Amino acid sequence: MQLLKKIKQGSPGWFLLTAGIILLLLIPNLNIIINLFGKAGENWEHVRDYLLINYFQNSLILVLASGLLAAFLGAGLAWIIAAYDFPGRNFLSWGLILPLAIPPYIGAYVYQGMFSYTGPLQTFLRNDFQLQLSQQYFDFMNIRGAIFIYTIFLFPYVFLMTKAFLSRQSASLLESSRLLGKNDSTIFFKIILPLSRGAVVAGSSLVMMEVLNDYGVVKYFGISTFTTAIFKTWFGMGDLATAVRLAVMAMLVIFVLLFLEKLLRGGRKYSYSTSNIRPLSRRKLKGSKKVLAQFFCYGVFFFGFLLPTIQLLYWSFLSRGGELLGTLNFALTSFLTGGGAAVLILTGAVIVATTARMSSSFISNLLARITILGYSIPGAVIAVGVLLFMLQLDQIFLFLQTGFGIEINLVLSSTLVMLIFAYAVRFMGIAFNSVNSGYQKIGESYFEASRTLGKGVTETFFKIDLPMLKPALMSGFLLIFIEIMKELPLTMILRPFNFDTLATKAFEYASDEMIYRAADLSLVLIFFSTAAIYLITHHRRRKNNAVEN
Amino acid sequence: MQLKIDNLTFAYNKKEGNIVENFNLEVQKGEVVALVGVSGSGKSTVLRLTAGLEIPDSGKISIAGQTAAGDHKFKAAEKRKVGMVFQDYALFPHLSVEKNIAFGIDHLSKANRKARVRRLLELVNLEGFEKRYPHQLSGGQQQRIALARTLAPGPELLLLDEPFSNLDAELKDKIRRDLNEIIKDVGVTTILVSHDREDAEFMQAREVLMS
Amino acid sequence: MRKLIVLTVLIGLVFSLGTSVLAAEEVNLYTNRHYDTDEEILDRFTEETGIEVNVLKGDSDQLIERIAREGENTPADLLITADAGRLHRAKTRGILQSVKTETLTQNVPVNLKDQDNYWYGLTMRGRVIVYAKDRVDPSDLAGYADLTSDQWQDEILVRSSANIYNQSLLASLVSIYGEKWAEEWAAGIVDNMARKPQGNDRAQATAVAAGEGDLAIINTYYLGKMINSDNPAEVEVAKSLGIHFPEGKYGTHVNVSGAGVTKYAPNKKNAVKLLEYLSSASAQKYFASANYEYPVNPDVEASELLQSWGDFKAQGINLTELGVHNEAAVKIFNRVGWQ
Repeated sequence: MQLLKKIKQGSPGWFLLTAGIILLLLIPNLNIIINLFGKAGENWEHVRDYLLINYFQNSLILVLASGLLAAFLGAGLAWIIAAYDFPGRNFLSWGLILPLAIPPYIGAYVYQGMFSYTGPLQTFLRNDFQLQLSQQYFDFMNIRGAIFIYTIFLFPYVFLMTKAFLSRQSASLLESSRLLGKNDSTIFFKIILPLSRGAVVAGSSLVMMEVLNDYGVVKYFGISTFTTAIFKTWFGMGDLATAVRLAVMAMLVIFVLLFLEKLLRGGRKYSYSTSNIRPLSRRKLKGSKKVLAQFFCYGVFFFGFLLPTIQLLYWSFLSRGGELLGTLNFALTSFLTGGGAAVLILTGAVIVATTARMSSSFISNLLARITILGYSIPGAVIAVGVLLFMLQLDQIFLFLQTGFGIEINLVLSSTLVMLIFAYAVRFMGIAFNSVNSGYQKIGESYFEASRTLGKGVTETFFKIDLPMLKPALMSGFLLIFIEIMKELPLTMILRPFNFDTLATKAFEYASDEMIYRAADLSLVLIFFSTAAIYLITHHRRRKNNAVEN
Repeated sequence: MQLKIDNLTFAYNKKEGNIVENFNLEVQKGEVVALVGVSGSGKSTVLRLTAGLEIPDSGKISIAGQTAAGDHKFKAAEKRKVGMVFQDYALFPHLSVEKNIAFGIDHLSKANRKARVRRLLELVNLEGFEKRYPHQLSGGQQQRIALARTLAPGPELLLLDEPFSNLDAELKDKIRRDLNEIIKDVGVTTILVSHDREDAEFMQAREVLMS
Repeated sequence: MRKLIVLTVLIGLVFSLGTSVLAAEEVNLYTNRHYDTDEEILDRFTEETGIEVNVLKGDSDQLIERIAREGENTPADLLITADAGRLHRAKTRGILQSVKTETLTQNVPVNLKDQDNYWYGLTMRGRVIVYAKDRVDPSDLAGYADLTSDQWQDEILVRSSANIYNQSLLASLVSIYGEKWAEEWAAGIVDNMARKPQGNDRAQATAVAAGEGDLAIINTYYLGKMINSDNPAEVEVAKSLGIHFPEGKYGTHVNVSGAGVTKYAPNKKNAVKLLEYLSSASAQKYFASANYEYPVNPDVEASELLQSWGDFKAQGINLTELGVHNEAAVKIFNRVGWQ
């Protein structure tokens, strides 16, 4: 009844389009899940008896430790940036997002390369100080190393969300605590952390999903996790059924995490408080506190961005430049694919989010869940689900052509369409969230005002919603763009002929240990992502200034 | 009869019960009516139902003799010719004052449109503000622009949602006076919602108490 | 309405991207190789034959899965992967077809191709033992079997069992000595490991130089790569290592990267031409040396670097055996806890 009411209120066209998009997103996943109901794969018992506990332990340790450390690091930094003023703060407030520009697998190669026996650190110690230390001090390729990599390159998710949350909090909250005689660390642990729990948990659950889905780092470090196990059983043993079972177990872990997140957030949602409140005023730091804050923030920036970049520059220099033309070519492919796909995905997300806005909260929650599904499923699983779907479509086209003589001449599998579609399945959730939070910021009254002024849903969308969504669309576009630039498993499995992106090429070189050749490509990739992050943060800043004026 | 509401019932959420129950109201053409009640009494919801922003669970709404809701019919908000001034004004921030006011009358020719915008700005005493943007206006100015925008298409019914709640005491008196003048000037049938009975008295409106 | 039109145009645009323009003469290559020199070889093939080569690169296992999923509609004509075990897997998945031509028979030795001609080896590498020159007397080394002896307690470095090279090595031992022997051997290696398996073959070689252990099991081409590295420290590491080719009755484990024509190849004729070209004397030299590997074509000499390592005797088994025993090998690894 409620649904019917809403459909009447909205426009059937939007609902139909949304239903179509949702169906498209679901089919590839269903294709895979169907395999679960068949009989267990031939290797299932073997995997269960000898390997499962190991996968489970490793995945859990990685996910929880990285999630927790990223939460503390991200929240702590967000607090420092939001509450204090010190030289360099302006730069750090976006500089600390930059580690996100470096894909964790590239970070892993760089750090391993740096600390290895043949890396610059040990070579330097050996040649200049005749110092040869036990290798265990430099042992990076283990769970601890992986946790470090994930934490240092993924914490910005927590940082971003917590910082945004804190910037909307009232200054009087802090001032009253200070007046009550609490010192800053008490305020952080007793007031700020519990208050921003929702944002911290949301950010760190993003980190945990990324960790659980990561393939590059764990493969390189030789750590067995669910993701490597899925690859191993599926592609190594050719046993889809067992791989799907593992994938479903990984998804269960995700669902438990999401449930915990809900629990930890205490059912509270962000309230986009109006501009009436006086935002946090930053306190100027002096003396040793200033130095400490700078040391900490710049330290994180150094390890999360500067050091790896410098190392890559050095390697790029060692490899004497590589082939500039080739690199530009891959950059162009990455750029066009990322940009084009981001536009398409965002278009879909806008349609779905607009419908969600016109719907009951139940429906809009459901839509949010479905769109985020692709983000929680391992990339390899999506890849094969999409491949199967496209093959089915091709079959249908072929059938229409031969059966009815309809001239279609269309092959989707092995084309760019297939890859872009897979990106859509994976990143629709991010796009949806961007658009949706944009809508939440706008509120309902503009939409309603336009309706009472005689404009229908669709006209209102183009004249009011779309222009007002621009900042949200812009940052959504850039976020997806960065994700696609870094994306690996889908691109590796589904790419069309003669297709190389910066990420795949860098990974190929790196996994061949031609890390010097990988360096150029990684640098270009990092440059693009950095530029995108700069645009996001500075676009928002300009916007904020305009409102304040 | 400009507005007739029969046995109107509505709930946002079945579990929380009806916020509007068997509500009846008749408003004559040119009349000014004030719905007065505490928050949660459903007065704003009646406005939203009248405007077509919510769909009633049962009951009937007729505007200028035509059924807007009820009898298994539902007229969408954009087809009702009902104007509404929102509590937060909802001026489109990306459009200039001129474009905001012209938003509902883009079926007119360009010259007619311009003339009408100018006339409305005169009416609300804000001549020369065409090129400004909403964020460059004070709260009182924003409200008057919102009113001008709402009046532009010549609505059958004007709805004002808590028009004085965002204003400080000093400004309030002036705004009430201005608003009253404009409404009487245009002669539009008006329903306003307020939690303050003083507002109703000031606007010389017929009071309808809601509980 | 306007929206609908925009949408239709958009969808149309997407679909037009979907249709691939087909050239007159072409061959579609699915390959896991990504060496820059490959492009030159393929370009030369196009020059000589007029056949365009479309390349789709990817991980070997994923390419196999993809061809299997694409079924009869696969655009793939020729599949190149890095390991005989995988080629065998492709054969048993039913995605290859038997091809036999005089040229191929001449160019590829019989033990380096599939028994039923479903695939042909193109380049060959050995999986050898490298040792620290300053600590190990090469005369103490005696092949794979000896690695489990007590003298190598905590001295052996080897990568994870997830790696196909280790799987194929163990598969070859299963084929030669039987499953029981192989399991004992694998357990013995686990006992003698200097550390938990981590990193790739190059990391093992580096660890030997760093003194973490005395011996490492690696593929020959890694040594070639290190000697030619841009990083002087790596060159130094490579120079400090000696190479031991297991001898005796059964010799050194060799493996190939090779190619097979897919079962539903739309351009079969061209695929065979390309396969023949890659095995020909003129292409072999470059194709093999790109990755510091041995050419399979007996008429072609290995590169100078590889010749300097000396001759060796390869295991006598047909490489098909590596695929046949792969599953047994994987399960043994899991049972003995070789991570």
